[in-house]
Amino acid sequence: MSLPIPHSPWKLWGNPIFRRYCRSRLRLRSLGVALLLMVLIAGFIVGLVSSIGVRSHQSPMDAARTGVIPLLVLQGIVLFVLGTAQVAGGMTAERDEGVIDYQRLIPMTPLAKVLGYLFGLPIREYAMFFVTLPFTAWSLWRGEVALSVWLPLYAVVLSSALLYHFTGLVTGTVVRNRRWAFLISIGLVFCLYTVIPQMAKFGLVFFKYLTITPVFEESLPGLLPKSAGALMQTVQRLAPTAKFFNLDFSEAVFTVFSQGGLILTFIIMLCRKWRWSESHLLGKLWATGFFIWIQILLLGNALPLIDPGNLFPSRAFSRMVQVLPDWAPNPAEAVAMSGIYGVVTLLLICVLAFIITPSPDHQLRGWRRARKQGETTLPRRADAATAFWFVVVMALAGAVGWFLFTRAIVESRWFPGHLVPLRVLGFFAAVMLAGGVGLQTLLEAKGARFVGMTAIFVGVVPIMAGTVLGTISNRLIPLASWLVGISPVSLPVYASGTLLSLAELPEQAARAVPRAFHFWLFVAVLVAGWLAVRLWAVRQAMARTILTARADGASHQRDRS
Amino acid sequence: MRVSHNRMTNPIQAGNGPPAPAIDIRYLRVDYGDFVAVDELTLTVPAGEVFGLVGPNGAGKTSTFRVLTTLMEPTYGEVFLDGVDAFEDIESARRIIGYMPDLAPVPTDLKVWEFLDFHAAAYGLGHRKQRLDRVAECLAEVALSDQRDKWCKELSRGQTQRVVLAKTLLHRPRVLILDEPASGLDPLARRDLRHTLRKLAATGATVFVSSHILSELAEMCSSLCVMNRGRLLASGTVDQVREQLGSTERVLTATLLARHAEAGEWLSAQPAVHELRIAGQQVIFGFKGNDEAQADLMDGLIRSGFRLRAFEEKRSSFEDLLVEVAETNRRP
Repeated sequence: MSLPIPHSPWKLWGNPIFRRYCRSRLRLRSLGVALLLMVLIAGFIVGLVSSIGVRSHQSPMDAARTGVIPLLVLQGIVLFVLGTAQVAGGMTAERDEGVIDYQRLIPMTPLAKVLGYLFGLPIREYAMFFVTLPFTAWSLWRGEVALSVWLPLYAVVLSSALLYHFTGLVTGTVVRNRRWAFLISIGLVFCLYTVIPQMAKFGLVFFKYLTITPVFEESLPGLLPKSAGALMQTVQRLAPTAKFFNLDFSEAVFTVFSQGGLILTFIIMLCRKWRWSESHLLGKLWATGFFIWIQILLLGNALPLIDPGNLFPSRAFSRMVQVLPDWAPNPAEAVAMSGIYGVVTLLLICVLAFIITPSPDHQLRGWRRARKQGETTLPRRADAATAFWFVVVMALAGAVGWFLFTRAIVESRWFPGHLVPLRVLGFFAAVMLAGGVGLQTLLEAKGARFVGMTAIFVGVVPIMAGTVLGTISNRLIPLASWLVGISPVSLPVYASGTLLSLAELPEQAARAVPRAFHFWLFVAVLVAGWLAVRLWAVRQAMARTILTARADGASHQRDRS
Repeated sequence: MRVSHNRMTNPIQAGNGPPAPAIDIRYLRVDYGDFVAVDELTLTVPAGEVFGLVGPNGAGKTSTFRVLTTLMEPTYGEVFLDGVDAFEDIESARRIIGYMPDLAPVPTDLKVWEFLDFHAAAYGLGHRKQRLDRVAECLAEVALSDQRDKWCKELSRGQTQRVVLAKTLLHRPRVLILDEPASGLDPLARRDLRHTLRKLAATGATVFVSSHILSELAEMCSSLCVMNRGRLLASGTVDQVREQLGSTERVLTATLLARHAEAGEWLSAQPAVHELRIAGQQVIFGFKGNDEAQADLMDGLIRSGFRLRAFEEKRSSFEDLLVEVAETNRRP
């Protein structure tokens, strides 16, 4: 039998998976209805805005420009929402129907399979998007919209579509239930447009570049009718470009750059899953690098905005409103931003720890495989190897990022006389290590189900109970502070509230929070240390048992030979 | 043509010894948490065989197949396919196999020929004309040429099985792994399937086929093995398996003209006889032994002066045997 040639991932038209979906999703009957609907809606939009323009005596240029944004919304719905849902649902359907096993066995590289699905599953949505383009082109031409305005905008529309489709593909690959995959992927896209941009207003500016929003805002003056556009342009002079440390980028370039990093990570995840369905979504080194990369992006976007004051929520929320000349940030904002940075960093460590930590079953297989190959240790980066050291690196990197962010805010020109001593870094590191390593060691030793229950009862319930208690009466606030402090998730906020000289806690919590922070941090560090030692012992015992076992097959085989 | 150069090969093949078996499973174990699905399975299937794997539901057949097809990593153990270590060189191993899973899923949004053409393209079977020719060949092989333009979702269960079999044959795999291929097929289609599998084996391909219906496999396979609760109970030709499963067990009925009670006493004293009862002129008893021993027993009965009018033998069927094995293994 001649061995078949693997398909090149870059020849999309020759990709069998892509062609299979072109065949099934571009059948004339269903495609015709979809295209007709799109043409009708797009035509209606253009016709309506033109007639309104004529009625309200707008110039033909302004009337044509009015149609660009509604068309963009329509295209966004088709590509971002329908396309993403189709990718997630289609991928899950493959597994639901059982045909995914065939696809696993076909001789195509994982990347070719990923690209085949990425462009094949939403092919009808791409077709629907393309039929609206003539209407957009007409509006842009009649509206005399400059190439420098619409080109970056549509480049980011496509890069965002790719990013969201990758989100759908990862969700569809990981989530087993078709309905859940659909809901989660739509939920993720919704979050990207609602929750994530709000985080930018609390200092985590990088997250807004995962959406089309910054480029859309940048393009608005060129897309709106002249008078409205001029007003927008004046407002936008306040923040005209994306800042990254000392570098200035256009919003479009930086958005594509930021989305590109995430897209690359998604590609790695999917290729790993296609190569071996039981693989972790990310390798240990990649996850650590990804975490550090996110830290750099967060800092790079945030630090340049501190001095002009644009990073602070009170300024960010009033971006469209004229800012008073004697405006200054509130110290509480700075403390809150530091705390939020710490919480987000800790949660990111936890998510990545979940991805790279091997289950007990996975570890067993790894040791057995090592024995089969005559090894006495596991390769450090193998899925079955411990994720402990990688989480330690992430925790330390996270602590450094958090410390730099906090110091840049507190020691900025807005808060003269305030300093962040180096010992704070030690506390930050302890918080990150206690939370991150605690979770990782528990996960590796006990498995995900146990950690899930622990996360609920130790991570979430104390915060909920403390919050309820604190709202009952002011007298209960000290008790509530102690209760909330049990949760490792609250430790970053407590750390900022306790260690920063800017912090001015309410009277009722002023004594309780620092004490609770020090006590619970001490407990958390002790528990994390004990768990780490225990994990070490468990792994050693597992390795010894497997490497010296005489009772199983591989040993029989060795004896025989 | 790209051939992997780092193929980890079976040590048998690496030397100058005999050619590697088509399937070589060594000490295979599959655990799902605390549940052992496959327990220390060691099995060799020579090339060109139609080899059956039989066992009741939950015996570990599907887990074994998923490991064989590299869709699942075993807890431990090794699998060599045509000399290739399946878990060291997955890509090469996957090119060797053709897999038809249990329930044979098909996509609902494709027509029969589209489904097959997609796989033909994925396996790189030439340009469109060549692919469609091969699709037609395979459809003819499974007697489904007339269903070429039908939607996959409109096929009956048996037709779906046959379409998936056609898909499995497309790239002319050297090892075919078929999980319950005959389920849902009518007798005629089963006969055709038997014929197809034998034809494939004659061309040098190895067919590893599972079923929970032993008689079905007995007709189809040149040799087979029996699994229950993850363990291999017997393997070899049909007769060898019968013997290994203790199928020397039979029920004998001696019809005597007189002295039934005495004959019963005499028989009870024989070591191979058990569970004896007398019903009218008949003495019915279980006998465990081979044909030689049975002939000696009859001879002894006559020499002892009992007047034998008739002697009847009833062997347990293969199906009964399997039920008995499953029942025995179910007991704690």
